[in-house]
Parts: sequence; structure tokens; C-alpha cells
Amino acid sequence: MNKGLASEEIVSPLTPETPRVPGEAGVWIFILGDMVVFSLFFTVFVYYRGHDIELYLQSQATLNQFYGVLNTLFLLTSSWFVVMGVEGLRSKAPKYSPHFFILAMACGIGFSWIKIIEYKEKVSAGITLTTNDFYMYYYIFTGLHFLHVLIGLGVLLFLLFKAKIIVQRSSHKSTGTTQKEMTLIESGASYWHMVDLLWIVIFPLLYLLK
Amino acid sequence: MSKKAQLFCVWCGIIFLVLFTLGWWLIAGYIPPISPALSANEVAAFYQQNTGIVRFGLLITLFSSAFNAPWVAVIATQLKRIEGEFPALTYTLLISGTIGTIVLFIPPMVWTTAAFRPDRDAELIMLLSDFGWLFFIMTFPPFFIQSLAIGLAVFSDKSESLVFPRWVGYFNIWVGILFIPGGLITFFKTGPFAWDGIFAFWLPLTVFFMWYLVMFPVLIKAIKQQSLTNLPKV
Repeated sequence: MNKGLASEEIVSPLTPETPRVPGEAGVWIFILGDMVVFSLFFTVFVYYRGHDIELYLQSQATLNQFYGVLNTLFLLTSSWFVVMGVEGLRSKAPKYSPHFFILAMACGIGFSWIKIIEYKEKVSAGITLTTNDFYMYYYIFTGLHFLHVLIGLGVLLFLLFKAKIIVQRSSHKSTGTTQKEMTLIESGASYWHMVDLLWIVIFPLLYLLK
Repeated sequence: MSKKAQLFCVWCGIIFLVLFTLGWWLIAGYIPPISPALSANEVAAFYQQNTGIVRFGLLITLFSSAFNAPWVAVIATQLKRIEGEFPALTYTLLISGTIGTIVLFIPPMVWTTAAFRPDRDAELIMLLSDFGWLFFIMTFPPFFIQSLAIGLAVFSDKSESLVFPRWVGYFNIWVGILFIPGGLITFFKTGPFAWDGIFAFWLPLTVFFMWYLVMFPVLIKAIKQQSLTNLPKV
């Protein structure tokens, strides 16, 4: 028989000795499945790049590396905020987790802002999806990743609401977070880390690879 | 009894897969796809040289798509068990599944029109060929919503014994997202995002087949579990 999300037990801080998979097992089907597809994207990119390396290098030179670095910083920082937020929920009287999730969202919004500016600059310079193969990959990879970021902002909003409820409840009775809530929150956090990880591969591949 | 009818509907999904593979792939020869970069004469040659076999294969393909309807219906039946009295996601699945079935009906008919008079102007044959392919690959939205509806319904299951395990929900959302690159074929005649490319054709097609094969056992399990929980209480 299929079991629902596990129990109403209260979580406690982790010890390094317990081997475990964060979040529910099912979310890893999605995360690993998604990463397999992106790996396929990257393999195809590197393969075709090898056939016309001049064109790829010329086109790459027109990308704004500063935006790329800035966005990498945004996502790495936001991942750290998410870790702090999740970790905070393991204490008996969590307090600052919602703040961390708000900061993580702010970084995600910063990323989106830069991405939109970057797209605008490219389009007004006459560079579009069909300009050449490099820009095709550029728009599609970063576009699909951007879609993941937007979904991720929804996920972070969900984590924020959950954290607020837990903090409010714990301030009265100091009950902490239940295992069931923690599993959900870790699932969402794992998704956000995947979004971060994908960017860390996309960035060098499109902007830096020589 | 409802169990037998439901099991019949689940098997219809497999009948769809088998007939579709047989008709579209093995007989009519649409896999691998003809390249969108071919000239009108080359496209017309496909219909002129294989007229009889293309007509017959497309007839089987057309027939296969009918079996998608009971398959969608049985998924809806199981989602209804999760949702109970106000089954908004079940209806979403039913409507998008219906549109999806229509999407499976139309391209074989468009290609059949091309094969009906293969001696007509090559430009016209190419027009019909293009229309069929674009309609077949680019129409991802109903399939995307179909998978999303199943995913969200699975997540909303709060009962003691779940109808579908939660990974089925995550799997469906993954499947739904993988259909999206099909929308990009409007921009390309060559490369991985053209209608014969790896990301617009091979990947979504593989995932589409996989979806039936993964949903099949979990549906059977859900139906069996349902007949256990519906036993009269002693």
C-alpha cells in the first residue's frame, strides 16, 4: 500500500552520522530526470560546437560576462540563504527562517531582472533565436533555465508561507517543525539547489568556454 | 463490474501504443521523420513512391488514436477517487486529454489527404506534409496540461492509502515539461530543435511512450487497490 508523507514527529538538528536523502524520494525523480535532459542539452551543444568553433567563439564574445558573473553570485547566495532558512527550522524555536527565504527570493528576482535586461540588449542589437546556432542554444538553454527560476520563485514563496506558519506556531508552544513539514520544505529547497546547479554549468558553457 | 471496465480501458492505452507504432512507424515509415529542410519535390517523392503503404499505415494510425480516449477516461476515473466531490483537476485532465486525442486524429488525416492524390503539385503536397508535422509535434500544450493535472491531483491526495504513489506526480510534471521543446519547431528547419531533431522529436516521443508504459502498472495497481477498499464490510 502507498504511504503518504511521513509522520507528525518533530524534527531535531541533524547529526553528520545519519545518511539520508533530503526531501521526499519522489522529488529526486524530477530532479535527476531534469538533470539528465540538461546533460543531453550540454552534450549536443559541445558536439556541434566542435564542428564550427570559430562561429561559437565569435558569438560568445558578444555575451556580457559581467551579467553572467552577477547572476552566478545571485544564485549561489540565494542557495546559501535557502540552506540557512531550512537549517533554522530544525531548532525548537525557529525565528529567522522566513527572513532567509525572503532574501533568497530577492536574489532570484535579481537574477530575473538581469536576465530580462540581458535579453532586451541582445534583441535590440538584432540578435535573436535564429541569428545563428550559438544564439539558438543561448536563448533556449537560458530560456528554459529561466522558466525553472520562475517556477522556483513560486516554490520559495511556498517555503516562505510554510516557514511563517511554523514560526508563528512555535512562538506560542515552541513545538518546532514536524517531519512531514520538513520533508516538503526540503523537497522545495532541493529543487532550488538544482536550479542553481544548472546555472553553474550553463554559465561557463555559454559565457566562458574557450 | 467497474474493475473489468477499468482494466479494459487501461489495456486500450497499450493497444494505442502498439497500433500507433505499427501504423505510423513500421508501415507508413514516418520514423525517422522526413527533414523539414527537404525540397517540395523530395517531399512529394515520399508520397508518390510509397502511396499505398502510406495510406494503409495512416489508416492504422488513425484507428490507434481512438484507443487513447478510454485510456484518458480511466485516468480520470482514478483521479476522481482522489478528488471526490469537486473534481476540477479530473475535468481538466478529461478536457485536455480529449483535445490531445483530437490532436492524434488530425495529422494522419492531413497526411492521408497528401497521399490521396500524390500526382498533384509538389508544393501542395509539401503544404500538407508541413501542416501534418507542425500539427503533430508543436501541439504540446494539451499534453502539458494533461500531465500537470495528473501531477497536481496526485500531490493533493491526503488519504491514508494513496491512489497513486507521490513519485507518479513528480514523474508527470517532468514528462509535461519535456513536451515543451516541441513548441520550438516553428523556428527551425535543421538542428536539434527542428521537427526531426533530438529535442523536438526524439526526446518528446520517447517520453510520450514512456509515459504510457509507466502509467500502465500504477493504474492497474490503483484499480486493484480500489476493488479491495470497496469490499462490503463484514
